Amino acid sequence: MPELPELNPVIHGKLRLALLSLLSGIDEAEFTWLRTKTGSTDGNLGAQLLKLEEAGYVSVEKKFVQRKPQTLYRMTETGRAALTEYVQALRQLLGGAIGS
Amino acid sequence: MTESSEQELKDRLSLIETMIAEGRRTTESWGWAFVLWGVAYYVAIFWTSLGRFPWAWPITMVSAVVLTSVLAARRRGNHPGTTRSRAIASIWIAMGATMMVFFPALGFSGRMDQHIMIGVVSAMLATTNAASSMILRWKMQFACALIWWATAVFACFGKSQQLTIAFLAAIFFCQIVFGIYGMIAMRRRDGQGVIYA
Repeated sequence: MPELPELNPVIHGKLRLALLSLLSGIDEAEFTWLRTKTGSTDGNLGAQLLKLEEAGYVSVEKKFVQRKPQTLYRMTETGRAALTEYVQALRQLLGGAIGS
Repeated sequence: MTESSEQELKDRLSLIETMIAEGRRTTESWGWAFVLWGVAYYVAIFWTSLGRFPWAWPITMVSAVVLTSVLAARRRGNHPGTTRSRAIASIWIAMGATMMVFFPALGFSGRMDQHIMIGVVSAMLATTNAASSMILRWKMQFACALIWWATAVFACFGKSQQLTIAFLAAIFFCQIVFGIYGMIAMRRRDGQGVIYA
């Protein structure tokens, strides 16, 4: 019997998974946009993004636009590979249960 | 695997699909630009109808470009770019640039007349709307492309007064109504709220 894969704990968190999935479909996103889309609080969102950044799954760029600070997040290649692996593992774990 | 953990994993999979779709769904937020350009066309047409004002169209169009650029720059922070939105934006920018180069040349060379102007504007708007609707798979926008194609063909055969009415109607449906529809669709979507905190 083939061994069942383990799910990446960094990605498995609901908010972190939502963030990585959001970032996978776009070029880059501002902190405020991510907050709106996830309905998260500033503190929680910042903490989860930091975990993703520490894991090398997202990169952050801070800049000023018209004198206002702007924090932009991008998914890294490592992050994209990790999310792909996570989805594959999820599908393997669910097996025939998908769609039922 | 227990039933609850299986359900949790299914929820995770569904969350991924929802979020990816959510990230990519940004184009309807351009509804305001359709309305703005519809109003700009009406202003230019009304201004021209007041008498001989050769600068009515250039001034109105340049003002609309400036206004669109300023508003777009202000909104950019809230709407992240995607490959798809870049593709659509490039089609519209290319169309705008073509109009900005071609129509002044047509005007200054003395070869501009109402039929040519409406025919070319309608054909270009039809092409752009059709390309955008195919990328987005948006039937409502394709319907706008059909209206513009019909107006372009009518520009070749219709009488001057009929043509003006057809052009005003096409602007109303494809710019004003479609733009407002796009804005309402975006507001409805945003109002649903997504919470994954």
